[in-house]
Amino acid sequence: MPVNNNILKIQRYIGSMPSLPTSVAKIMEICNNPKTSPIDLDRVIALDPVLMGKVLKLINSAYYGLQNQVTSLVRAIIMLGVNTVKNLALSTAILDKLADKSGFRALNMEGFWRHSLCVGVVAKMIAKKKGVEPQRLDEFFAAGLLHDIGKIPLNNALADEYIRAMGLADHERIPLHLAEKRSIDIDHAEVGSMIAEAWHLDGPIADAIRYHHDVALYEGKSADIVMAVAVADYYASREGIGFSGCLYPEKVAPEIFDRLGVPKAWLEEIDAAVAAEIEKASIFLKIKS
Amino acid sequence: MFSVKIWGDRGSMPVPGPDTVVFGGNTSCLEVRCGKRLIVIDAGSGIRSLGDWIVRNDLKNGPIDADVFLTHTHWDHIMGFPMFTPIYVPGTTIRIRGPVNFEDETLEQIIGSQLSYRYWPVRQDELAAKITYQSLKETQLDLGDGVVVKTKYLNHPVLCLGYRIEYEGKAFVTAYDHEPFVNLFPTDPTDPDYDAAIAEEGNKAAKEENERIESFYGGVDLLIHDTQYSAKEYNASKIGWGHSSFEYAINAAHRARVKRLLLFHHDPNRSDAELQELELFYQEKICGKSSLRLDASREGMTINL
Repeated sequence: MPVNNNILKIQRYIGSMPSLPTSVAKIMEICNNPKTSPIDLDRVIALDPVLMGKVLKLINSAYYGLQNQVTSLVRAIIMLGVNTVKNLALSTAILDKLADKSGFRALNMEGFWRHSLCVGVVAKMIAKKKGVEPQRLDEFFAAGLLHDIGKIPLNNALADEYIRAMGLADHERIPLHLAEKRSIDIDHAEVGSMIAEAWHLDGPIADAIRYHHDVALYEGKSADIVMAVAVADYYASREGIGFSGCLYPEKVAPEIFDRLGVPKAWLEEIDAAVAAEIEKASIFLKIKS
Repeated sequence: MFSVKIWGDRGSMPVPGPDTVVFGGNTSCLEVRCGKRLIVIDAGSGIRSLGDWIVRNDLKNGPIDADVFLTHTHWDHIMGFPMFTPIYVPGTTIRIRGPVNFEDETLEQIIGSQLSYRYWPVRQDELAAKITYQSLKETQLDLGDGVVVKTKYLNHPVLCLGYRIEYEGKAFVTAYDHEPFVNLFPTDPTDPDYDAAIAEEGNKAAKEENERIESFYGGVDLLIHDTQYSAKEYNASKIGWGHSSFEYAINAAHRARVKRLLLFHHDPNRSDAELQELELFYQEKICGKSSLRLDASREGMTINL
C-alpha cells in the first residue's frame, strides 16, 4: 500500500477515532460463548457506563412496553434473561459506533446507516437460511453492520477527495471501491482493515471488512461470513436500501451463491422480511441520542 | 355470563392415552365467555375440539367473531391453530394477539407458517376467515362490551404474557408458562464471582418481580397457574426451564389472596393416578390453613365466575 499524504491523513484520523470500547470486543467474545454467565455479562456491560445507560434505555423503550421502569442491569438480566440482554448490548454497542453523525460530509449518515443495517440483517438471514449454529448469528450481523466502516475515515478525513471518488464512480459507472483506489490510492475495505487492526478486531468480522469486495482472493477460515456479507452488500445496493455511495455495485459471481449454498432466487423472496427486520433494528437508532 | 372452559391443560406435548383420560391430554386452550364475547387463550391441541364446538354452537347465531390471545409462541401453545375449524368458515373474524421475541419473525409469520405446504395441505392465504395479528406487550386493552384485558410479562425462556381478564366486577388470571424469578447472580460469599452489591440487588430484583406477578393476580376469583413440576423435581433438574412447582404456585396464590387456584400445564409424564394423588395431597395440606380453593385442571371443566 503506497504511503502518501492521503493515507497519512487516514492514519491520523483512525488514531483520533474513539477506540472501540473494550466492552464491544468483550461483548462480542461473550456473545459467541453459549456458556456466558449472568455475572460475566453484567460486568462487561458495566465496564462502559454509556453503553449500560443505552441498554437500560432500550429495555425501558416502547419495544417491551414494561409497566415498571428497570433501572439496574442486574434486574434486566433477571427479568429478560441473559440472551436477550446480550443481544441488546451487542447491537447497541456496535450501532453506536456507526451512528455518530459528526463530520459526515460526502456520504449521508442516514443512508449509510441504513445500508449497513440492511447488510447486517441480510447477512444474518443468510446465516439462518444456511442453518448456521444460533450462537454465530450475531457474528454475521456484526460483520454486516461493520463491513463499510472504512468509509467513515474516507468520508471524514478526506471529504473533498471522497466526493471526487464518488463522482468518478458515477461518471465511469464503476463500483465505488475501484474509484476510491484510483483517486485516493486506497479503498474502504483496506481502510476498514486498518480500523479493525487498531481496534484489535480479528477473525471473521475483520475478514468480512477486508474481503467483502474481494471474495475470490479470500483464503481464510471464515469464507461463509465473507460471502454472506458480499451477497448481502449486493442485495442492499441492488434494492436501494440505504445508500453507501455505490451506484454501480459489482455483481456477485454465480459460484459464490453455489459455495454459500443459498440460491440467488431466494433473494427475491426476502424483501418483506428484510423490511420488517430493519424496522425492528431501527429502534436502536431512535434511542441513539 | 363470565366463564372459563378448559379445552387443553397439558404442557409440552399432547399425550392421549389411557393414563390421561381424567385430566386430559391436549395442550393449552381456554374458552372464555364474557356475555356475547368469545375469547380464546392459546391455540394448543385443545383448540381443535373448541373450534368444532364453536361451529356447532355459535355459527347459527351469526358469523364467528373471536379474540385469540396467545401466552407465547412455544409450539405446544400454537400447534392446534391449523385445525381450528372457524378459520375455514367464510365470514369468521379472528384477532390474534400475543408477544413476540425481539429476535423473532412477526406473529403472523410464526403462527401462519404452520399453514404452509411443507406442514399442512392448506396455505394461510387460502383461509376463508378474516384474521388479523397484533404483537402484544405489557398493556391494558379495552375489548369493548365491558371486557378489559391486562397483560404482564412472566418468566419463561421466550417472551410470555400472563393475561388478566376482567368482566362485570370479576377477574381471572393466567400465569403460565411461568417460573418464579430467581437471583441469577452468585450469592455465596465463597464463590470467586461473588459481589455483595450485585448479590443484594439480584435478591431484591427477584423478590420485587415476584411480588409484581403476585399483585397482578392479587385477590382474583380464579388463577390458572403453571404447576408442571413438584418442588423436588424442580429443584433437582428443572430450574430455568420456565415452569413452576405446585408448592410455589399454591403459596403464591395464598399470599395473593386468590379465591380459586387451578393447577395447570400438567407435565406430559404425569398420569391421572399421580395427578389425583397430588391434587388430594395439596388439598389436604392447605385444609384449615387457607381459604384458597384448589383443584387440578381437567379437560372439559367449566368454571363460572
